[in-house]
Amino acid sequence: MITREDILNIALLAKLDVAEDELDNLTKEMSAVVAFADAVNEADIKTESFDNVNNLANVFRSDEVQPSLPNEEIIKNALDSDDGYFVVKKRA
Amino acid sequence: MNYELVSGFETHVELSTKTKIFCGCTTQFGGDPNTHCCPICIGLPGTLPKLNEQVVHYAIMAGLATNCEIANVAKMDRKNYCYPDLPKAYQISQFDMPLCKNGYVELSNGRKIRILRIHIEEDAGKLIHQQGNTYIDYNRGGVPLIEIVSEPDIRTVEEAKEYVEKLQLIMRYIGVSDCKMQEGSMRCDVNISVRPKGSEELGTRTEIKNMNSITFIAKAMEYEFERQVSVVESGGKVVQETLRYDEASDTTSSMRGKEDAHDYRYFREPDLVTINVLDSLIEEIRESLPELPFVKLQRYIDELGIPETDAQLLTKYRKIAEYFEDSIKGTQNPRTAANFILGQIFKRLENESAKEEFDIKTTADQLREMILLIESGKVKMNLAKSTLEKMLDTGKAFGELVSESDMAGLSDEALIELCKQAVSENPNAVADYKAGKEKALKSILGTVMKNSRGKADANMAEAKLKELLS
Ligand SMILES: [Zn+2]
Repeated sequence: MITREDILNIALLAKLDVAEDELDNLTKEMSAVVAFADAVNEADIKTESFDNVNNLANVFRSDEVQPSLPNEEIIKNALDSDDGYFVVKKRA
Repeated sequence: MNYELVSGFETHVELSTKTKIFCGCTTQFGGDPNTHCCPICIGLPGTLPKLNEQVVHYAIMAGLATNCEIANVAKMDRKNYCYPDLPKAYQISQFDMPLCKNGYVELSNGRKIRILRIHIEEDAGKLIHQQGNTYIDYNRGGVPLIEIVSEPDIRTVEEAKEYVEKLQLIMRYIGVSDCKMQEGSMRCDVNISVRPKGSEELGTRTEIKNMNSITFIAKAMEYEFERQVSVVESGGKVVQETLRYDEASDTTSSMRGKEDAHDYRYFREPDLVTINVLDSLIEEIRESLPELPFVKLQRYIDELGIPETDAQLLTKYRKIAEYFEDSIKGTQNPRTAANFILGQIFKRLENESAKEEFDIKTTADQLREMILLIESGKVKMNLAKSTLEKMLDTGKAFGELVSESDMAGLSDEALIELCKQAVSENPNAVADYKAGKEKALKSILGTVMKNSRGKADANMAEAKLKELLS
């Protein structure tokens, strides 16, 4: 059961502002999402271990330097940048 | 009432790999902002991380060197938190299946500080807060770290200092990190609580974040201990919180409010596969580890007869220990090399990092050759000492600076000749000496030594001078 408090906590962790009048609707929507995912639990399966379903292990890189991207490319999508830095509003 | 300090450490150590943990970007310190970055380490959608094998090996080395069990199966997890130093809004770390666990570091008082676990994870970017804005540099983002988590076994500030120094020494020795605290490649979070002496219960703890100087760790712990004791003494309760230590005022203050209540919602990192560690790999790595500093220290004292304080200095820096060991091969008395290294050579290494780098011109082989000449009686200590200075200046071998005939030392006649010359060069000192000033002889002797270019034996020269002036 998803409660209004759950929504407030998720919003807090995700740094999202949620208005009071949005809460009921969000609670309903989130409940539907979780119910949808719960369908997985109904599946008829023989094992409970989903820890390594693809059965892969030890896919490694060797420690060799590859070229990085130029700074212009890196900050290309930044909403704001200055002197090569990403710039964001300081968080309280 | 008497109170006892109870403290545990979480120590982040940046690994000395060439590349980041999940991509091929360089881990070099510094560089222009956001120039050691690629789509993987700035977390662009659609990229896939791939684990650097060297990170796994280094973590296993660190684990073995701190007496840990190495896991045969480990995995990576996502630790979710939203802060601009993490471009993905999560850090890839290890939660319930770390690479190493259940180790310990033994202190000189015999107490063992247990190590709960060592896991691998990625470092975050660097933030600069300025005028309401935050400037972000992701060069450090994705640099591999190990986090060494101790049990709350530390009871005094002295133990805390020794614990951090020991970790630093071990990690440097095995070559997994340079542990430069001032550059942030080693940082500690310090948990502290207090309890009445004799009590077995743990009090409420606070955590001082991100300490990167042993001096300040000690000061912060002292302050926080006193603060908690006075809270308890006045009938209050210590509040569990994260603190920041302010160096200027030497106080701690609260860093995070309630809204940051830890809820990392760890789950298995779906983009990375399981890590399997075979016993054969663990054994292979165990074999490859160098002799650890404490083992070396004991061996120097017991087998080489080096005094403990000297042995401590020699084993504190791996390169110096290696140099020492190379320079005593085939020699009779290891203390001769130890004295040259801790005397004349140490004088040239001004600070910790110079000692760490140990960049000197004379090779261990060159020093050894000279010691063999001393031990065979061909070269007098005086000549060796003065020549070593020149060797250290120029990098030349002893044989290039001193000829066979120089080595032969002075004949009696030559020494008498030099003494006579010195007497005639120092009429004032001679007069003083004859008037009863014993000390005046020293300056005449100095002239003899100087003119002989260190070849004369000081005791013999002194005797000859006394004869001449009697
Ligand atoms: Zn990268």
